[in-house]
Amino acid sequence: MNDEQAYTVVGGRGAMTVFEIYIKTTPERLWEAITSEQMRKRYSFGVGTVSDWSEGSEYKAAVPGVVEIAGGKNLEVDPPRRLVQSFTALWSEDVRREGESRVTWEIEPVGTSCRLRVTHDQLSETANNELYGGWPMILSGLKTLLETGEDLDTPGSLRYSGAAG
Amino acid sequence: MDEVFKALADPTRRELLDRLFEQDGQTLSALEERLPMSRFGVMKHLKVLEGAGLVTTRKRGREKLHFLNPVPIRLIHDRWVSKYAEPWASALSELKKDLESSENEENEEDER
Repeated sequence: MNDEQAYTVVGGRGAMTVFEIYIKTTPERLWEAITSEQMRKRYSFGVGTVSDWSEGSEYKAAVPGVVEIAGGKNLEVDPPRRLVQSFTALWSEDVRREGESRVTWEIEPVGTSCRLRVTHDQLSETANNELYGGWPMILSGLKTLLETGEDLDTPGSLRYSGAAG
Repeated sequence: MDEVFKALADPTRRELLDRLFEQDGQTLSALEERLPMSRFGVMKHLKVLEGAGLVTTRKRGREKLHFLNPVPIRLIHDRWVSKYAEPWASALSELKKDLESSENEENEEDER
């Protein structure tokens, strides 16, 4: 089903990146790890994402009082399979100028594992690579957390975790 | 992880990844044009790369686009390189912070 989904170009913003990872876990646990503020912190540079996760709701990824990372709306929420979010990066003036793009999370069970695909699209052709450059590190940390219960402590991966909130 | 190393062990497949690194999201036809190889040959190599998770595809309209998926290489990095990179990375990020803050101060002075 996911393979057949057709992506469309919106407003000439045709650039798109796709990241894929297999994680030995259940769709439910993976969904929880994506939507739980505390779990998210452990693999997203120490930054939690807050939302009520209803369709059309807003979300914000930030270390309160220290740094705002991203925000947007939850456009489609279909636990534990599919989450589509609008995405506006907020961590610097440069990335803020890039405006809104879109992030689609798709979870598909494969045997005793799950395939997680993160598609970041509706990016401008000249999009700053900082916008999507963090995904491999985030997904690697997510895999480590779910499979071992431990934090991935590679350089930068817990960048803001010591920051005072 | 075996599949990743096997896929990367072939120069043509590394070349295909190079082409996708330069421009992500290409059709089979576009990749074929950029390599001195038959369509069948490109398809065969793409299949190995897909099997290793290094290439993934999405549809856009009628086109099937191929994307470089760097995540398996990131996992290899995290397994062996991370502990060596740590002191460098933190030193570099400190340096970046210092440079950027002095740059900002200069900019502020310029604005005055």
